[in-house]
Amino acid sequence: MTDPSLAQSAVASLPRAEAERGAVPRWYSHAYNRAELYRLAAAMGWLPRPARLRLARAVGRVARRLFPAERAVVRSTLEVMTGATGTRLDELTVGVFRDFAMCFSDLVTTNRQPSTRLTAHVSQARGTERLEGLEGGMISLTAHVGNWEMAGRLLALRSARPTHVVVAAEEIQALERWVRRDGDGVRFVPRTMPTVSLQLVAALRRGEVVAVQGDRALGTRGDTLVPFFGRPAPFPLGPFILARALRVPLVPAFCMLGPDDRYTVTMPEPLAVAAGGEEEALRAWVALLEETVRRHPTQWFNFFDIWNPIRG
Amino acid sequence: METDEILDAIKALLVERLKFDPTRAAEVTLDTSLPKGIDGSLGLDSLDFIELAMGIEERCGVMIDDQEDLAPHFKSVGALVDFITSRQIGA
Repeated sequence: MTDPSLAQSAVASLPRAEAERGAVPRWYSHAYNRAELYRLAAAMGWLPRPARLRLARAVGRVARRLFPAERAVVRSTLEVMTGATGTRLDELTVGVFRDFAMCFSDLVTTNRQPSTRLTAHVSQARGTERLEGLEGGMISLTAHVGNWEMAGRLLALRSARPTHVVVAAEEIQALERWVRRDGDGVRFVPRTMPTVSLQLVAALRRGEVVAVQGDRALGTRGDTLVPFFGRPAPFPLGPFILARALRVPLVPAFCMLGPDDRYTVTMPEPLAVAAGGEEEALRAWVALLEETVRRHPTQWFNFFDIWNPIRG
Repeated sequence: METDEILDAIKALLVERLKFDPTRAAEVTLDTSLPKGIDGSLGLDSLDFIELAMGIEERCGVMIDDQEDLAPHFKSVGALVDFITSRQIGA
């Protein structure tokens, strides 16, 4: 049972009309979700990983020429995030396409290996011991940085609970075919109907894990402006409302590619969301995200203007 | 709880928890659809359904922890009343 004092939530203060404006985030039409790219990356799966990653780096160098609009956005985003200019900014821009190709290649090959083998690709795991002290349901919070899917999968492995991954409806076919299918305790939940949140409520009540990505605005009334690298950007408040309502912790998880081509998994202190504290918790999450991106600017894989992602 | 009591509880949740206008909530009948995207529905979005589920647990004493798809039970006020009634009987 929930505490009646929790009745006054952030939801009540969100203007209902905003949900009906029909705005759509830019990333919905993103070219990188196309099945062809998954197929191409999967086709390289027969190569030994070092050779595959070398090839991915080469593909990344070519890709930046094939996507001039995305390249321009990446460049301007990096300019804000790093303050770099000139040659340094050019290098960072190339680095985003290179690192994306490498992480994407792992996403559809290495990530498909049995869960128990994933750790072979991880050089460091920081904070994962915190999971041992968490009981009941939890929300895994990741973002489109590094190999986010591996972060979620490792968390699912360590928490040893069924995991429900919330994804955009148009992503689910490619994800189920090229990334992973149901069966290893991970289930994709398409964000198609407003009643999807009921599935998540029930899963958390059963003590299971809900995995969401907390960096992309949805074009709904839940989008909340939070400073990100000094500028207001919309981030989804929904995960924080869910955590407050169910009284479950939000567990941030990042999985970043290192210079040795192995990953470092970091799980910062779980976020507890107090009644009325949804926006404060969101700000804490965005600060964690900003800190991670500041250290790994070439692994920020949002190829759109994060500060203005909504198109009418 | 009887059907009328559950219906009143849902109306109260709409006002107190989801911040609906009391006049609009008073017009709600068993035939009223809940999710947005349906003509004449209350237009509830995913955030509303979280609050509604929590409110039902709190006020009606049922636990929302089902493995089955809950969407049909939250399609309309009538379906929701039936769901709550069945859960109370089964409890």
